[in-house]
Amino acid sequence: MSAHGLAIRGAGVSMRRPLAYGALMAALLAAIVASLALGAVKVPVQTVIDVLLGKEVAGPDRQIIETLRLPRMVEALCVGAALGVAGAILQGALANPLASPDVIGVTGGAGFGAILIIILFPGSIALLPLGALFFGLLAAAIVFAIAWSGQNRGSTGKVILAGIAVLSLFTAGTTGLLAAYPEKAPSAIFFIAGGLTSSGWEEMGSIWPYFAAGFVAALFLIRPLDRLALGDDVASSLGSKPHMIRLGAAVAAALLAAASAAIAGLIGFLGLVIPHLVRMAGGSSSHTFVVPASAIGGAALLVAADTLARTIRAPIEMPVGPFMAILGVPLFLWLLRRVV
Amino acid sequence: MSAVATATPLLAASDLEVEIAGTPILRGADLQIDGGELVAVVGPNGAGKSTLVRAVSGLQPYSAGDVRWAGRVLAGLRGRELARMRAFVPQRMPVPAGVVVREAVTIGRSSHLRPLRRLQGEDRGAIEAAMARAGVLRFAERQLSTLSGGELQRVQIAIGLAQETPVLIADEPTSQLDLGAAVGIATLLRGLADEGLAVLLVVHDLALAVAVADRAVVVSEGRTVVSGDPGEILTSDLLGSVWRADAELSAVDGRTALHVAWLPKEGVRAP
Repeated sequence: MSAHGLAIRGAGVSMRRPLAYGALMAALLAAIVASLALGAVKVPVQTVIDVLLGKEVAGPDRQIIETLRLPRMVEALCVGAALGVAGAILQGALANPLASPDVIGVTGGAGFGAILIIILFPGSIALLPLGALFFGLLAAAIVFAIAWSGQNRGSTGKVILAGIAVLSLFTAGTTGLLAAYPEKAPSAIFFIAGGLTSSGWEEMGSIWPYFAAGFVAALFLIRPLDRLALGDDVASSLGSKPHMIRLGAAVAAALLAAASAAIAGLIGFLGLVIPHLVRMAGGSSSHTFVVPASAIGGAALLVAADTLARTIRAPIEMPVGPFMAILGVPLFLWLLRRVV
Repeated sequence: MSAVATATPLLAASDLEVEIAGTPILRGADLQIDGGELVAVVGPNGAGKSTLVRAVSGLQPYSAGDVRWAGRVLAGLRGRELARMRAFVPQRMPVPAGVVVREAVTIGRSSHLRPLRRLQGEDRGAIEAAMARAGVLRFAERQLSTLSGGELQRVQIAIGLAQETPVLIADEPTSQLDLGAAVGIATLLRGLADEGLAVLLVVHDLALAVAVADRAVVVSEGRTVVSGDPGEILTSDLLGSVWRADAELSAVDGRTALHVAWLPKEGVRAP
């Protein structure tokens, strides 16, 4: 077992990846259609397709899909893809299978920022996404400033230790705030447990540039991360600076994870598990495969889980986290059993 | 055996000093290499052999001295330019899961590619040629994690060859290999030098160095103390003063050997 994860024996490498891509795309399409069709009002699949194709549709179905379900589905799609990609590039850059956006402090910072707004500025709840984004990036910036200075700058150990220390600091701040204002705690739970809302396009309107920047950066990092997988020496031989690749990956992951927290609260698990799931399914840890496949897999899992979360006890909406685990963990464990 | 020396050597380093965490590792080292030459860097453990080749390769910052690649100062070269001058083959690279040999060698070509640009025909040709020359085509579709030490070392050399550089630097490529695999790597490196490549080899095995190298550079306590034909400079006296061993190199019919007095003479054993 290497730091980059595990591979399953069996089918040849050449067939495994197209099969895995096919399965992930099918899961994503199914999840998208289900998320648009299901809810308090069930819309027939044919009508969903007609709306998406811009055809005439009678009744309120068009409005339900276009103003409520489509924005929410797109949010879930972006957040799921962002967390999958953030996990994939961090695990690659830090050569650590347990890396996720938590270890660079983003999650802790975003949680603190959101709770700060909820407790101190309850009248300006619209600021919550920006508060989460700002503190998420601030926490990551502190981690980078410490880990990328002095001796051994940018080493994996330094990044992870700095990240865990900063995470503890912000988590302590969050816990302190909640303990000091216990009456505000219930409104914070939805953010901490993680979940999406049907609030239209407004949130995405201010957050999308961070997603875009993170995804573009991740695209440019794929090849450098493949070099880094062969070790710092091979990456250096090929003209890269290993600590700069790690910094680039950490910044991209911080943007993606902070933007995700701003939209959907603290969604753990996905960023950690999806890259492993994808590697095991595709039998490869090549980033050319793992990064795009993690985007598709993360999007499929979050869209599917969100659909379950808002329909299973409708009209009550459940936090999405537990449903992600219910869908993802059995699949993960099944794949883990087959690993060499 | 060596090619005609050009006015500007491919690599020229002088008075190199390196400090790591305040400890001086190199205190004045010189190194030169030209096309068609196989230069062996030898010396005891901790003498600074690896640090020397890492410093000239741009993998290890140096505190004083001068390194020039084809006349250009190392510090003035961008990563991509340096990657066209020399390929560095580490002793043993990490092995990512599920990556096959052909993919790994393809990564070795990435310094020739513009960001996000796909492989061109020329790149595919270079990758195939590197795999053929290093002798890895036979297992090109196997995963790295299934290879033997010797096979993996060949893949690492193929990755370096895919860079298509005039200089190949290998850091102790044979030290973890069995006899047959080490012979295979030695033959490969000698052949590459004969084809015109400059090969810089860090090596512990002095018998191997004598057999394959045009020149040996001896590193001792952070300094390059002597350089020249390995058969001439690696004398019994030098092995005594630098390695603190009673030993002698011999060559008979193209077979080389290191004869070592493993125990003190006179049959006196330590109590």
